[in-house]
Amino acid sequence: MIYLDCAATSMHKPRTVQKAINRAMATMASPGRGCHRPAMLAADCVLDTRILLADYFNVGEPENVIFTSSATHALNIAINSLVNSGDNVVISGYEHNSVTRPLRGLNASLSVASSPLFSPLEAVSAFEQQLDKADCAVCTYVSNVFGYILPIKEISALCKKRGVPLIIDASQAAGVLSIDLLGLDAAFVAMPGHKGLLGPQGTGVLLCNSETRPVLFGGTGSNSASDSMPDFLPERLEAGTHNVSGIAGLYEGVKFIISRSEKTLLDHERKLRELFTQLVSPIPELEIFISDDPEMQTGVLSLRSDRLSSDELAERLGSAGICIRSGLHCSPSAHETAGTLESGTARFSFSPFNTAAEVRCAANAMIKIFNNM
Amino acid sequence: MLKYLLMCRSLTYAQRASRALEHAGITAVITKAPKSASGVGCGYCVKISESKLSLALNVLRQEGLGPTRIFVMAHDGSVSEVNS
Repeated sequence: MIYLDCAATSMHKPRTVQKAINRAMATMASPGRGCHRPAMLAADCVLDTRILLADYFNVGEPENVIFTSSATHALNIAINSLVNSGDNVVISGYEHNSVTRPLRGLNASLSVASSPLFSPLEAVSAFEQQLDKADCAVCTYVSNVFGYILPIKEISALCKKRGVPLIIDASQAAGVLSIDLLGLDAAFVAMPGHKGLLGPQGTGVLLCNSETRPVLFGGTGSNSASDSMPDFLPERLEAGTHNVSGIAGLYEGVKFIISRSEKTLLDHERKLRELFTQLVSPIPELEIFISDDPEMQTGVLSLRSDRLSSDELAERLGSAGICIRSGLHCSPSAHETAGTLESGTARFSFSPFNTAAEVRCAANAMIKIFNNM
Repeated sequence: MLKYLLMCRSLTYAQRASRALEHAGITAVITKAPKSASGVGCGYCVKISESKLSLALNVLRQEGLGPTRIFVMAHDGSVSEVNS
């Protein structure tokens, strides 16, 4: 099997991740639920991971690193903290449903700062035009469909200048691009643990630089006589038992990234993406969404063909043991912006563990599929 | 020997306080706060020996981890608040 769906979940992880998960499950209980050894081992594991992430993402205090079950969970907290019913929220034209659905659920009024694919100057300009009446802005760092790296520093600076709090969805950026919470001065940055950070499913992270409102209420192991959530982080946003084994795995995933450097990992993924593009480009009537500037795209590639639907292509590749994703990728707004809403796209996303041999094999399989039509 | 209990606002702070104190050579054990000390239920504190109180408070203030309250624990386990 060749797995090229890393933008959904990075299935191959460093070996240390699995070991850490097993060790946590065998030895650790729940932080804040006692001072016995298994509880304190769990508490140490969670704090160590918080400190690691706070340092890696320049969060300041480790208490401002919140563990969630996913990026979606993290985005829900961030949006619920800043947005009230009727608020005007500016979003990019590349947002995931994990941004648009919570905003719709809160009855926010959405203004889309729409700009063409791989056009960062126009993206900044679009935000500039929309921010005047905004109560909040939400922007993805990287499009999950096209791997397009949005000019998040410039958008963040604009938001700061206009006094508009910014939520950054770093789901496709974390692990391959630098993220500096305090440097960007974003209100929140949300990310999953199971994609670029190489942790297990069921982990997510919210970096906080703003006042918060919980979306989940319950036990925290602190202030238990009160029926209100604590007013301090991280407890305020972490009701219920932590996913300790997941957090233990996430710690090792992030340690791996730091040891290799995110730039090295991104360069590797880009090379694979470029190799794949070069190999499949001769296929007639194939539309490949690629930036002229390689710095503007991660290791994610979308394509489509009038001869074969993206779903059919994914199914045929799947039969050949090659795993990709097709359709809308939970981001209809990105497809609307790029003009691919009707067709969807077939998405190939590469990881630090994919090889050039795998890419050649996948490209050959695709060429064979189209040659046999 | 008397012990001092340095109340922390949360387990995370208690862990960070304990680590900072241990780093400074002060033995600091995380314990659940006695009910009479926590007030709001399920609080955490770090327990240190009597002779280390002054040094411990200096370390914690430097780290921005100052305790919310300080209690002295008598031999019989009873606690009473002291002024910091």
